[in-house]
Amino acid sequence: ETWDMPLAYPATNFHTETAQGFADCVRDATSGEIDIQTHPNGSLFPGGDIKRAVQTGQALIGERLLSAHANENALFGYDSIPFLATSFDDSVKLNEAAQPALEELLASQNLHYLYSVPWPPQGLYAKKEINSAADLEGVKFRAYNAATARLAELAKMQPVQIEAAELSQALATGVAESFVSSGSTGYDEKVWEHLTHFYQVDAWLPRNTIFVNLDAWNGLSEENKTAMSDCAATAAETGLAKSKELTQFYLDGLAEGGMTVAPPGDQLRTDFMGFGETMTTEWLEATGEQGQSIVDGFKN
Amino acid sequence: MSDLYAIGIFLFVLFLLLGSGVWVGLALLGVAWVGMELFTSRPVGDAMATIIWTASSSWTLTALPLFIWMGEILYRTRLSEDMFRGLSPWMARLPGGLVHTNIVGCTVFAAVSGSSAATLTTVGKMSIPELRAREYPERMIIGTLAGAATLGLMIPPSLTLIVYGVTVRESISKLFMAGVFPGLVLALMFMVYVAVASSLSSNFNPKPEPYMSFMAKVRNSRFLIPVVCLIVVVIGSMYMGFATATEAAAFGVIGSLVLAATQGSLTWSTFTESLMGATRTSAMIALILAGAAFLSLSMGFTGLPRGLADLIGSWELTRFQLLMALLVFYIVLGCFLDGISSVVLTMAVVEPMIREAGIDIVWFGIFIVVVVEMAQITPPIGFNLFVLQGMTGHEMSFIARAAIPMFFIMVLMVFILIAFPELATWLPENIRQRPGG
Amino acid sequence: MKTLRRALDGLYLGCAILAALFLVAMLLIIVAQMVARWTGVTFPGAASYAGYCMASASFLAFANALNRGAHIRVGLLLTAVGRYRRWLELWCFAIGATAAWFLARYAVNLVLWSHQLGDVSQGQDATPLWIPQSAMALGAVVFAIALTDHLLRIIFAGDHGIAAELAGEGSTE
Ligand code: NA
Ligand code: NA
Repeated sequence: ETWDMPLAYPATNFHTETAQGFADCVRDATSGEIDIQTHPNGSLFPGGDIKRAVQTGQALIGERLLSAHANENALFGYDSIPFLATSFDDSVKLNEAAQPALEELLASQNLHYLYSVPWPPQGLYAKKEINSAADLEGVKFRAYNAATARLAELAKMQPVQIEAAELSQALATGVAESFVSSGSTGYDEKVWEHLTHFYQVDAWLPRNTIFVNLDAWNGLSEENKTAMSDCAATAAETGLAKSKELTQFYLDGLAEGGMTVAPPGDQLRTDFMGFGETMTTEWLEATGEQGQSIVDGFKN
Repeated sequence: MSDLYAIGIFLFVLFLLLGSGVWVGLALLGVAWVGMELFTSRPVGDAMATIIWTASSSWTLTALPLFIWMGEILYRTRLSEDMFRGLSPWMARLPGGLVHTNIVGCTVFAAVSGSSAATLTTVGKMSIPELRAREYPERMIIGTLAGAATLGLMIPPSLTLIVYGVTVRESISKLFMAGVFPGLVLALMFMVYVAVASSLSSNFNPKPEPYMSFMAKVRNSRFLIPVVCLIVVVIGSMYMGFATATEAAAFGVIGSLVLAATQGSLTWSTFTESLMGATRTSAMIALILAGAAFLSLSMGFTGLPRGLADLIGSWELTRFQLLMALLVFYIVLGCFLDGISSVVLTMAVVEPMIREAGIDIVWFGIFIVVVVEMAQITPPIGFNLFVLQGMTGHEMSFIARAAIPMFFIMVLMVFILIAFPELATWLPENIRQRPGG
Repeated sequence: MKTLRRALDGLYLGCAILAALFLVAMLLIIVAQMVARWTGVTFPGAASYAGYCMASASFLAFANALNRGAHIRVGLLLTAVGRYRRWLELWCFAIGATAAWFLARYAVNLVLWSHQLGDVSQGQDATPLWIPQSAMALGAVVFAIALTDHLLRIIFAGDHGIAAELAGEGSTE
């Protein structure tokens, strides 16, 4: 049986490569019974449609940056709380703490959780030296979701909404002067043509999650379920390793492009940690007990 | 062999529906439907609705109806008349006369809009009536418009280059710069063609423009001031950082409303007429885009474009052979898909082939754009043909025939790009933007 | 019969006016977004709202565009078949109406699904998606009605009633 797997990122992105590895693994392990056909680059369904497509069986398996669906349920945003989990180890721990609640939430949406892989940590891109939150005041900051808009508000930056496709041009024309994203974004978009500084504030590590349509999952034989789960575990590991490896690669790339790549100064770190606490509290207000148990589980 | 079977069915249904006169958007929808029913067990209707909703409500597309509206407003002002009054004394003596305004107009407007349909409607709305009034041959008017409007994709900003850049992770500003010279060269080639064809043609007898002294020509140029202002405002808003490429279209609408008002041609009835006209034209294009989005999804499920690209990859060609194979491949694909879908559906397979063959990825972006430009004017599915049919009422076959010379000029352009790759690569390599600059 | 005719024509026109208003709204939203940015204010979700307006404007205008001959098609065969044109038109409108009802059915389904799944926009607007999708569904249904209307007119009156088939401003060679 062929399972079409829509993916949002280009074929050469490490998430897509990991998913391809997973697909190959499943094909081997089920001796061809489940043949997952990947469709990278949003060529089947664009990113925003993938969750719904899998939910409703338009595709049987897919990958999505689940935090993009935080409007629907704040719990989906567990991996994008600024300055809560700021390293790969933290990210793994947070993911483990969140997994039961996440699996339950996904199951209620007719989805079965398979695995997730973190992006390299999110850093701060800027056009000048930033030593404290005070330096950010009034800077035109690209806000693309509720969390980044809130961050802009807390740091008294001027939020500008720019769609991903227009980011490069917005930077070139000065519509935006700063944004938070992983090193890979800056590397792929070659932002050194327009910006000068990258601060490794490691704000959060968003994760791409791979999920299966629950009905399709329930229809699998026990052997095939096991095979798929095993492949998922392997893929999660290779993806994580790849992400770690690439973090440095992207940072080097940014530096080579001519950007100053540096960890944040003490004041900036302290300021950001303060924002992080505020936003964690706000997230807990939105998610209640479930959120509290995730944060407790993570902090222990 | 199932691929051949699939191709056969797709083509049969497509030609049956399109050829018998079913509306283009609905015909595409029908073809996609048949394809999905045959090749996947997924729920067809729901997948269609999902993808059509996303395609129809996309932010980057909002510029299109606005540019169409801008064209409708300008068409109802004295602006186009004025523009011709300013330009004709200068251009009338060129071989080919005012047909050049089509090309120059499209080139300039290409710097304002990122799509070829918007370029086409705005310029065509203004130039077609003026050129007809001067008795230029219809075929020449339509053909040059169809061809030159494709410059909207090559001269920055360009939707196709944005999609390509995001797909292959190449700098979009670099790609934009790479498009400048090839765009200008292509425009020049169109103009040379017009000059030559008009001198050779026996039915090229436009009404002669009255003689004018040099000073009179200069004085007449004052009529160009409003157009120049409008263009400066729209392009300026983008490059000065007041607006993104999409938002610049809003500047265009407001600017043309202001122009119409200052000229005294803005009445309630011209306003509503322009608005209703723009609404209908946008709806016409939206229906086709909806059908095309569903067809593209259907193609994705069948895996056909990817399979064909895979096939080419398996031939192990030399660099030149590979480019020729891809040229043919994209021309054929372009007959049935719009440019952006062609890029998105095939890049996963084509990109590694290109990198392996050592082809410059920025250069290839321009190659792709030229090829995708051709797709705009090749039947049965060519957007510029559709838009022109909506605008002029000509049969698609007439428009397609009128555009054939432009098609061959673009093929020639591909070879020029291969012979002189610096055309595309020189500018991005030599304008190194300083960090922070 | 006459009341029905008037009701239908009113429906098409009403939708067209609504579509035009959505187009104006889209312009205003984009302008507001720019002004907000220049003045340091935020307009969360502006891009999404503009997108909804565009989808609504497009779909609600489908029927009017059809009635005014704005939707394009390949007319070669239609002119070539001469006196059999009525039969070919019958085929075109039958296929067209089928496709449009298919579209309408699933556009309505989309609204129902979105409502049932509680699907919310991923942009900063966080709009429940069934609301903007309703405009698309309405437009699709009215479009299907319009095509059926013309189909029935061909069957019973012999003519589809689209005023200017090719809304051209000029000659054809
Ligand atoms: Na352009
Ligand atoms: Na074509």
